[in-house]
Amino acid sequence: MTARAEVTRPVAYQQPSRWHRIIASEHLAGWAFVAPAVILIAVFALIPIGWSLLLSFQANNLLAPGHYVGLANYKALTKDPQFKSAIGHTIVYTAVFVPISVIGALGLAVALNRKIRGMRFYRLAVFVPLVTSTVATGIVFLWLLDPTFGLVNYVLHALGLPQQKFLQDPNQALYCIVAMTVWGWLGFDVIVYLAALQGIPQDLLEASEIDGASKWATFRSVVLPLLSPATLFLVVWSTINALQLFDEIYVTTHGGPLGATTVLVYYLYQQAFQFFNAGYGAAIAYVLFVGILIITLFQLWVGRRRVYYTS
Amino acid sequence: MKRICLIVVTGALIVAGCGSSSKSSSTGTSAGSGSGSGHVNITLWHGYTDVEGTAIKALAKEFNATHPNITVTPQFYGNSDYALQKVLAAIAGGKPPDISYLYGSWAANIATNPTTVNLAPYIAKDPSWNWNDFWQAARNVTTVNGKIIGVPALIDNLALVYNKKLFAQAGIPLPTANWTWTDFENAAIKLTDPSKKQFGWAYVNDASEDTVWRFWAMLWQAGGSILSPDGKQAAFDSPAGLKAMTLLQTLAKHNSIYFDDGSDVYPGVFNSGHIGMLWTGPWDLSQITGHQPYGVSTLPADQNHQTISGPDNWVVFNNGAARVNAAITFLKWFTSPKIDLKWATMTGDLPIRASAAKLPGYQAFVKKYPGIAAWVANLANATQSRPVTTTYPKISTAVGQAVQSVLLGKADPQQALSQAAQQVNGILSAPS
Repeated sequence: MTARAEVTRPVAYQQPSRWHRIIASEHLAGWAFVAPAVILIAVFALIPIGWSLLLSFQANNLLAPGHYVGLANYKALTKDPQFKSAIGHTIVYTAVFVPISVIGALGLAVALNRKIRGMRFYRLAVFVPLVTSTVATGIVFLWLLDPTFGLVNYVLHALGLPQQKFLQDPNQALYCIVAMTVWGWLGFDVIVYLAALQGIPQDLLEASEIDGASKWATFRSVVLPLLSPATLFLVVWSTINALQLFDEIYVTTHGGPLGATTVLVYYLYQQAFQFFNAGYGAAIAYVLFVGILIITLFQLWVGRRRVYYTS
Repeated sequence: MKRICLIVVTGALIVAGCGSSSKSSSTGTSAGSGSGSGHVNITLWHGYTDVEGTAIKALAKEFNATHPNITVTPQFYGNSDYALQKVLAAIAGGKPPDISYLYGSWAANIATNPTTVNLAPYIAKDPSWNWNDFWQAARNVTTVNGKIIGVPALIDNLALVYNKKLFAQAGIPLPTANWTWTDFENAAIKLTDPSKKQFGWAYVNDASEDTVWRFWAMLWQAGGSILSPDGKQAAFDSPAGLKAMTLLQTLAKHNSIYFDDGSDVYPGVFNSGHIGMLWTGPWDLSQITGHQPYGVSTLPADQNHQTISGPDNWVVFNNGAARVNAAITFLKWFTSPKIDLKWATMTGDLPIRASAAKLPGYQAFVKKYPGIAAWVANLANATQSRPVTTTYPKISTAVGQAVQSVLLGKADPQQALSQAAQQVNGILSAPS
């Protein structure tokens, strides 16, 4: 029996060693291909994420060695009125920003999705703000909205409307930031919608036309459902971005006036880098992370019921 | 197989070539890279650009030429606003710079780091430092609980800059060194003309430290102080504080203040002839020269003409005794009156030593920067400093909100002061 086995099984075909199997498997090849990205993400994202979790349990100013304080940072958050108002500002901002930017982008994308002269120029015009640096956008808006010398108040004056304080008014500043960020980010949403619109099969639109559907009915019952994957993506993506708003605030209002635009990430920055409470800042980051996670899961859960996938 | 050989050989040749060429080019400076024979290399981190960037390189070169045992290499770290984060990262990585330019407002926090060198013993045993020759406001900011954590790097102060043309148009006599708050208030109101979009004064109203320090100057002028002498209680909620807040409120109500949003717009507005007066420092001098006919004077007085200074420090980090000593040797040379005046003449910064004004080259400096003499003279009015404590940034934020709420008409002076004082007392009593 052993002799037969030797005959039928030449050396080369003996059961491959474990190592051979691992090396030959597609798993390894796959990992090898993604390794550079995985290593970079691990070094620059996962390790800092883990480290900031540890930091959130410490009293640490990043200057001297910190010490563990357990849940003290999180407990302090529950009693911090500024943290609560930062949450409030973040929610208001997100609730206004997301619908305006998604619905606005849909309208623009539909308007840009046809064949007229100079369409490339219009599409470019919509996209340019996205690639403009936030600092430049911020300075332009500061000047536009300057209460004394700004163009917007000049136009209001010419139209006989009352002058506004805009970014210098605690009641208006957050909405000015919404306007500024919608302007800055709309281009991305429009591109996504344009791609989705162009992916709609022409025969479906023709079929609906032959069936005698009006333009609105076609849009409502054919186009919109086919765009729903893009809509879900944009809502989730915009929400995450809105909840992490920082740059625009940092460049323009510095969280003011009177804290009216102090959103969560700006408050985190203040605590960690202006007040030297890095542990407290890390705790804010983790609360925000959990919040974003819950909101995103909820959106995806709703999406699974409402989104229509062609495939 | 053949190809691989070839690659290896060429690779080796290239490496060898690089090696030999770099060797030959570095022979001239080989003393700089050798750690033997007592030679020390140190690095200096700074955020200087333009004129200052050229000046620091030139002076480091001069130092290296005159001190054969030490080589100082200045390294540009970008904007000074973000220097602390970079220095922290370098400390964590075990390779801090030997010297770094760091803001004075960070001093108390920097003092908590074990790598920061306490210079007090070095200065105590070497009287040739002539430490008291540094302006007092600058010395205050280097000192944290008896430790000296830096050498003064910069001093400035707020003075009154006014547009002579607008004063003439409004028929107001020009500000003098005897000006009072009443003179200032009346002038600011008279210089205001909404139809011309003209303002009497400008104020940085972003609730940042830029908002707060101008308020401290007013508080001191009215005879008040920021904290109680033991530093445990807020003291600005006082008759002096109320007076200062009320002045702000009055001028805001008359629309006499141009509110800068914190992006440094006011120099441009001043240059276009829309602002009558500024409370600003020598850093704006280069921006406002050549636009409007301007004059510089001391700040108006209530009880006194005090001003405020925002000094910065050269901080030394510990990389071993030899390098610490070399760093101190450099800083002592760099901040000596002669080199200090040289630096001031090159850059337009104020001399950080009082005795620099007695040197022969001082007149050339004053001539080169018209108006600068007023700021130098005003340093004598910079006698008090902001508290050097780790909690100062929080105190500043609370007071910034108070000042802003008064300027925006959202709170009464007394109400704003009481609330801020309550917050500050909370900050001071919190366990750190």
